[in-house]
This record gives sequence, structure tokens and C-alpha cells, in this order.
Amino acid sequence: MGHRIRSTILLAVAGALALAGGIWLAVWDQAKPSSDALFALQLPDTAGVKQPLSQWRGKVVVVNFWATWCEPCREEMPEFVRAQTELGPRGVQFVGIAVDQADRVGRFAKELNLNYPALIGGYDAMELSRALGNVLVALPFTVVIDRHGRVVQTHLGPMRPQQLRSIMKDIL
Amino acid sequence: MVLAQGNPLPAEKAFRFSARLLDAQTVEARFYIAEGYYLYRDRVHFAVEPASAGLSVPPLPSGKVKEDQFFGRVETYRGDVVVNLALIGAKPGEQVVIAAESQGCADIGLCYPPTVQRVTLALPEGSVVPKVQGEGARKPWLN
Repeated sequence: MGHRIRSTILLAVAGALALAGGIWLAVWDQAKPSSDALFALQLPDTAGVKQPLSQWRGKVVVVNFWATWCEPCREEMPEFVRAQTELGPRGVQFVGIAVDQADRVGRFAKELNLNYPALIGGYDAMELSRALGNVLVALPFTVVIDRHGRVVQTHLGPMRPQQLRSIMKDIL
Repeated sequence: MVLAQGNPLPAEKAFRFSARLLDAQTVEARFYIAEGYYLYRDRVHFAVEPASAGLSVPPLPSGKVKEDQFFGRVETYRGDVVVNLALIGAKPGEQVVIAAESQGCADIGLCYPPTVQRVTLALPEGSVVPKVQGEGARKPWLN
């Protein structure tokens, strides 16, 4: 008898936990922004050629919103260049979306020997960054998407090299 | 989401703008820059609506000179910045909107896109200067 009661209680507790877990997962899932809108974007590069972001779907994509007028953005980019060289062969693609003028972006990209695409974004791109969690619509803002298109990290402000390495270690 | 250290302010709080009439033709425009934030001098611009009110903007005060690797010599403002603007075409009793565009950054390593803030002022019918009508809502950036 006592055993049956204990079993019933255990079952009830397990059920409640499963339900709570399910709810928590649903909430967590909703809270995670989707990458669909990002992959639906087509933005011009510095030569004015429209680049669909969907071309990088299936890779680990690191999207960095930046501008030449943003000094902290410029300061973190050499690390992204290094990471692109190092991790590119393992399926990582960095993509810069500059909220800026194409000529300035082109000049800076050349100075830095930027080895990943520098696309020119406007109002839509910044609104998109807001939808991805950039409530202050400030820069730099970085979004890491895994191979399955899941947004695994969003980061406002410069990323420390260690942070970037630790995220990459988790998803590669 | 991982945030930069601290709790960064939205642009309109980091670079709060106000404007008041000193007399029927003079507007005192002021930015209150929060501690730990700065504005770029060459990215501060003023406009008046309607344009017929004729805004005359004097040279902006000098800022702190900083050597930027990409842009060269730039000047930045911290603390308060005050500029007296002249309305050279405004009619008595007219309502005007002072639009102030600014762009700046936070020391924690964040920069904000250009932001436009607006203040509506009612010009006096005669020589009496009324109080500030209230600060207009912040317009989205890139306006």
C-alpha cells in the first residue's frame, strides 16, 4: 500500500516536472530569436552587388553589425579576421553588416585586409538587429548562428577573443 | 543575450537634448551627456521645422581633440554642451520644432547610430518668453 502511494506520488512529481520542463522549454524556445529573417536578407557588398545571406546557410555564421564610425567595432575586427582564417576551413563564415557608407566601408576593409564579406546595411538591417535582441540598436552587435540555423548567441559590445573561442568550441 | 559590461543607456538618455527660448529669436540648445559617454562634435547638427523659421547655427564649441586611426583628428564632447541658436525668420506666435541630431559612444565599448531628438517651442506673441513646451518624442534613428 505504502509502496503504491509512493509510486503515485513519484509519478505525479515526475509528471509535474515534465510539464514544467515542457513549459520552460517552450518559453525558452520562444525567447530565442529566429535566424529566418536574417537569412532572408539580401544586402549589397562594397561593389554594390547584392548578396543573399542564405548563401551561408548550413555554416556556422557569425554576423557582426558594425560601422567605421564605431571605434570599438573597428578594434574587435582584427580578431574576427584571425578567426575567419583559422576557423573558415571548419565551416565558419563571418559576415559583417556595416551601418555605413559603402566607400568608407571599402576603404576600411582594404586597410584591415578583411577576409570576410562586408555588406552595407541600412534601416532594415538595424531593425533586424533589434528583433534579434539589440534593444539599444547600438554597435557592435554580434549574432552567432549554428549549422542548423539556430541563434546560439547574441552579444552587444565588443567580444573578447576568449568568449568567441569558447562559443566556437561549443558548437563546432 | 550577453550584454556589454554595465547597463548601457539608450541613446536619448545617454545624450539627453533640451531646448528653451532665451528671447523671441534665441534658442538655447543643450545636450546633457551622461558620465561615461561622449558625442562627436562633427556629428552634431541642428535643424528647425518649419525651415522658414530660419535657423542660424554658430560654430559649435571646441571639443576634446582625439586622434582617430581611421578618421584622423576628431573632437568629442563630454558633460554638457550648450549652443545658442538664432531663429532669423520665425514669426511671433509661431510654433517651431528644434531637431537635434547627434552621434556618440559609450566608454564601455558601444556606439549609437545618429539619433534625432526634437523639442517643440512656442514663440511669444509679443516680448514675453513662454516656458518650454515639452520635449518631443525621440524619432527613430536615420530620420
